[in-house]
Amino acid sequence: MNVTEHDVREALSRVMDPEIPTCSITDLGIVERVAVDETAIEIDLLPTFAGCPALDAIREDVETAVRGVAASAEIRVRFVMDPPWTTERISDAGVRALAGYGIAGPVLVPLGRPSSVQCPYCGSMRTHEDAAFGPTPCRTIQYCEACRNPFEGFKTKSERRAPR
Amino acid sequence: MGTDPRIGLLLALADDELILGHRLSEWTGWVPYIEEDLALSSIAQDEMAHARALYEIVSSLDGREVDALALGREPSQYRNAVLCERPNADFAYTVARQWLYDTADDVRLRALDASTFKELREVARVFRLEERYHLDHADAWFRRLSGGPVEARRRFTEALARALPEALALFEPLDGEDALIADGTLPRAHADLLAEWLAAVGATLEAAGLDHVLTATIDQPAGEMVPTSAGAMETSAPATPPLVVPDVERRDGRWVHAGGFSGAGGRRGEHSSDFEPLWQELTGLYRAHPGARW
Repeated sequence: MNVTEHDVREALSRVMDPEIPTCSITDLGIVERVAVDETAIEIDLLPTFAGCPALDAIREDVETAVRGVAASAEIRVRFVMDPPWTTERISDAGVRALAGYGIAGPVLVPLGRPSSVQCPYCGSMRTHEDAAFGPTPCRTIQYCEACRNPFEGFKTKSERRAPR
Repeated sequence: MGTDPRIGLLLALADDELILGHRLSEWTGWVPYIEEDLALSSIAQDEMAHARALYEIVSSLDGREVDALALGREPSQYRNAVLCERPNADFAYTVARQWLYDTADDVRLRALDASTFKELREVARVFRLEERYHLDHADAWFRRLSGGPVEARRRFTEALARALPEALALFEPLDGEDALIADGTLPRAHADLLAEWLAAVGATLEAAGLDHVLTATIDQPAGEMVPTSAGAMETSAPATPPLVVPDVERRDGRWVHAGGFSGAGGRRGEHSSDFEPLWQELTGLYRAHPGARW
């Protein structure tokens, strides 16, 4: 096949998270493995949260994007649990892309403690967590005491998160 | 049904998550404020996703479809602990059950970190990262209700006493447990996990001055003062007989299991009368439209 792993990864970098249209799935860190052989392309993806309802939509978007660079290949997209997706997999560009959509990037402090979450609207650090559970399994609700806007934060999922 | 004891372990874990997740989803739209509605709904969503991941492992072992595992079994084939099928009752009971369940689930998931069963070890690691939010939620409510106004503390205490015997039975030994331990699928026996959980829960309850729930008999209907039609106060008769909890005792400064499970049976498919209506609702669509896809 005259398609390389690089071509596939580049196609994947243009697939946006269906619920965060500013952030690509590669910047979100969910593309774990891409393997290209003579006839098939295998892609392993990591769910951010197991209960993410967007998984089927992401799978379809990935298939469509890869079909665009490898029309005749057999394309196999799997969601796998190893390694676990964690917060650290989001790239710096991903954190900026989240902020561009009004979602603060994750931080490694325990819930309920003063956090260093930065308001995506005014940039203030004077924020607090309003609720640990938000509109999707991967998000929280935060509040900015400076500009008085509520905003969403990406949940922290990490083995390095500080203990409670 | 296969004889692979790993399937029994996977179904116990998965059915706990599915059935409790279904119960929690019943709160969706009914919680008095939106943040808590989102919390219980999100936890329900997480639990059901964890059930699905475990059913996928079962499917890889015996070829049954995930939907058939979740929705296509007879009531006696579900292996969830009875605790998970109990109606939500009031918010105090929901929180008490959740605190006991989440702390117990944490103990067994941590143990599975050392499992020789690769697929199970991998999903358990993912679950733990997500369950941290459930534990934080449960602990926050534990502090709030146990240290809250008199009415909150009273109802929370009663709910803990009611849920506790059935929470112990989350650790009821499984059929084929010896084989699971011998090949390292289950790194520690359920009796050992129960001891760890009970010591931790006992210490937390003691610190909150609530350790009497560990040995309480449940008699709240008898103690309630109710007005009669003539306007006088009298003590109401108990609606249900007291549930005695003989299974726990304090020994050498620790709370330990004294043997026996008064809340057991779920792991063998022996469910309470609360299970049948839940099962009807959970599986109704699947049974009415065989092969439907959604």
